[in-house]
Amino acid sequence: MSIPPGYAGKVLIIYLDHEASEILPLDRFWKTYEIDPQKWLGGDGVITKILWEDYHTAIDPLDPENEIVIATGPWTATAAPQSGRAMLGCIDPKTGGFSSGSFGWFFPSMLKYAGFDIVILKGKAKRPIYIFIDDQKVLFRDASHLWGKETSETVRMVREELGERYEGEIRVLSISVAGEHLVKYSPPCSDGTSCPGRSGAGTVMGSKNLKAVAVRGTGEVSLFDPHGLLDSSYLAIKSLIEKEPLIKLWREYGATTSLGTAMDWPISGAMLVKNREEADFPHLKNVGCLDCPNPCYHWLQIKKGKYSGLRHLGGHMTFLTVCLRNLGIQEFGEWIYFERLLQELGLDPASFSMTYSWAVDCFERGMLTLEDTDGMTLKRGDAELICEVARRVAYRQGKLGDLLADGVAEASQRIGRGSERIAPHVKGKEYIQRDAKVQALMWSLGALTSPRGGDWLRHHNVWELAFFPEKRDTYLKWIGKTCTEVYKESLERLDMPEGLKKKIFGDSQRVDLEWIESPKGKALFSVWTENLVALFNSLVTCMFGSATMFLMVGIGPTTYSEILNKITGWNTSYDELMRIGDRIFNLQRLFNYRIKGWDHKDDTFADQRAYEPAQMGIYKGRVVPWNEVLQEYYRIRGWSKEGVPTKAKIEELDLGEATKALDLPEEIN
Amino acid sequence: MAEEKVIVFDPLYCSGCMYCMTACSTYHQGSTSLSKSRIHIVRHEGHAIANMMEEDHLIFDLITCQQCDQPYCQYLCPALAIEKDPMTGALKVNHDRCIGCRMCMVGCPFGAILYDSNRKQVLKCELCGGEPQCVRFCISGALKFLPKDLSHLVQRDRFGREKIRHHFKKVEGESR
Repeated sequence: MSIPPGYAGKVLIIYLDHEASEILPLDRFWKTYEIDPQKWLGGDGVITKILWEDYHTAIDPLDPENEIVIATGPWTATAAPQSGRAMLGCIDPKTGGFSSGSFGWFFPSMLKYAGFDIVILKGKAKRPIYIFIDDQKVLFRDASHLWGKETSETVRMVREELGERYEGEIRVLSISVAGEHLVKYSPPCSDGTSCPGRSGAGTVMGSKNLKAVAVRGTGEVSLFDPHGLLDSSYLAIKSLIEKEPLIKLWREYGATTSLGTAMDWPISGAMLVKNREEADFPHLKNVGCLDCPNPCYHWLQIKKGKYSGLRHLGGHMTFLTVCLRNLGIQEFGEWIYFERLLQELGLDPASFSMTYSWAVDCFERGMLTLEDTDGMTLKRGDAELICEVARRVAYRQGKLGDLLADGVAEASQRIGRGSERIAPHVKGKEYIQRDAKVQALMWSLGALTSPRGGDWLRHHNVWELAFFPEKRDTYLKWIGKTCTEVYKESLERLDMPEGLKKKIFGDSQRVDLEWIESPKGKALFSVWTENLVALFNSLVTCMFGSATMFLMVGIGPTTYSEILNKITGWNTSYDELMRIGDRIFNLQRLFNYRIKGWDHKDDTFADQRAYEPAQMGIYKGRVVPWNEVLQEYYRIRGWSKEGVPTKAKIEELDLGEATKALDLPEEIN
Repeated sequence: MAEEKVIVFDPLYCSGCMYCMTACSTYHQGSTSLSKSRIHIVRHEGHAIANMMEEDHLIFDLITCQQCDQPYCQYLCPALAIEKDPMTGALKVNHDRCIGCRMCMVGCPFGAILYDSNRKQVLKCELCGGEPQCVRFCISGALKFLPKDLSHLVQRDRFGREKIRHHFKKVEGESR
């Protein structure tokens, strides 16, 4: 098998124990791991396959045996839109199951220009070290003076030490104090900007005594049809920008645009205007990763208040959602300070915020006492207190810091007292809580079925949120259209075969409140979205801009196949690509089933309130029939009643060889 | 001769995505890279290296051939390999004549000419025959392709509008 264009062609395996490295040709590596690039692409697909081959039983995630895989894909570092992404995977320190996260800025592309598609980090270093990948050379350097340093200082020091010839030449993926102190939800951070969030890989890096990975790449990525690629990419970008009504807002205001879709917060502009008073935006446009037509980072400068003078590149969705919803931080300056602080400390915003939020609930109910909290009265809305707790958690300081550093699942088990029943996690991982009865059913279903535990990013179906009845007067008006118009247009533009559309949405051409409210068709739509996410995570490209964002009319599988064919010279189609997504998702499920035994019994919310009738709003008294929804989902997936992929499904996806040893059910639900 | 146009850059609109660079290398080299691009975005990423309350900036700037009227690269070339394209006014390297001495690189005050050791060629912006790919792919609108005698308009327009806004703010403040 020769290496197709679009791949850099080498694999780097690093043995931290001996501080040694090995460079393998990509085709030989593929052969050892039985990876057919046309079946697994790269990124998440390759990570899944590598972890599948390497782990047959559960391991302690903080054991040196756990390996970190950084995988780019054929899309990465080419001239295709949003090509600055890669995936980083390992065994999750929180759940013990599969974990991976997408990250960007310029580390992934630099890695590919250095000539590597995949980097695998094995073992545990005897002393704190960092690695420098200088094109094809690999250097191991002492990092004891960097230990204890926060994110941006680490980046600066590493770049200075390695003798950067011009700024941005060397890219650094580093961990911060939270990773060093083995806080269970710490992501590494690429140049203090983009983190593979939710992956917990920072904790694993900390357990390996690995402070940072730096890379300098000066090479090129070959292409099958460069001019064709440029033309297809140009068309894709143009149609994305013209078709998607929210992109224009997004490019100007960043993630705050999504307030309308994600929050019960009207996007009337009031907040944005107020922000301009309190904060300055020295750039007129957002800032983004490589080749991004709709960048999401906002360069912010706080002008008023306590944090006057603070500068930060961010303003991100997760922070915004957790700050306003779960932490009650209202002031803009405090919100940005919190975001910057968590990035500096290396804490996952969703996990930390949900853990804190849970701790407040426990405190209010008397499940946590002043003795447990080191004398602090926990509450929402107090930014200073929350930041203080974040620091204690990152350093595992005091009783409270140590308790919350393990996350909701472990903390609730440790304190007991009924706190398990209000702990917002699935399979041990926190998720940003949305009540499926009041809000999005598909969103919550995604948290249940996600291969990396309670998490919404492997699903991310915003259809219900976008066309939610309460939202009709807010952001749809903002873009100057009626709900029916937007719904109709979006339905037309949705990159999905007509037959499937009919199955999911029925014949209705208008916003169907009944459809929004009922679970009908949603399992099918969820399956489609999950496959799509697995697909673009393997290419690897970004979620923002894909057909899972905004009104779900972004870049879809049709465009993906068109551009991928220009990069690699293959002849893939819509169906083949979606099947790749399906294959990857199924193997992730099987992986978790094999090492952790996760099946139907684990697809549950720990928080029992999810199963109780809604307490308020127009859906008061409503209950979601979770078991029925899940059973329908299993049936569509081709899984058994217990939520395990069946033999027939495995055969259909060409996974037969790999899964022979497993005793899989025959009967589809 | 057609009207001579040049690439104009507005740093405030730049999103730092470097699509100009990947498009450039893809179009000319047939493979994507940042190091072999004829256009270069210089970056200062203050956000990534400054401590929390330290003031720093995030700045992008452009380095590419300015298509000078008095081109030092052309003067210094001993092989007379740099020629002016009569259609676009771009200074082009005639690779049949080029001897690879890299004297043009010495001459360029901006460092806009680079050397590709794999292909044994000097690379410089030749305006893609009048349709620059970098400008085509600049979605944020930071790069524009304008006639030489209008190339100041972008900066002037922005500066002027800012000045007016500043003035209005002052007047508003006084009237309150």
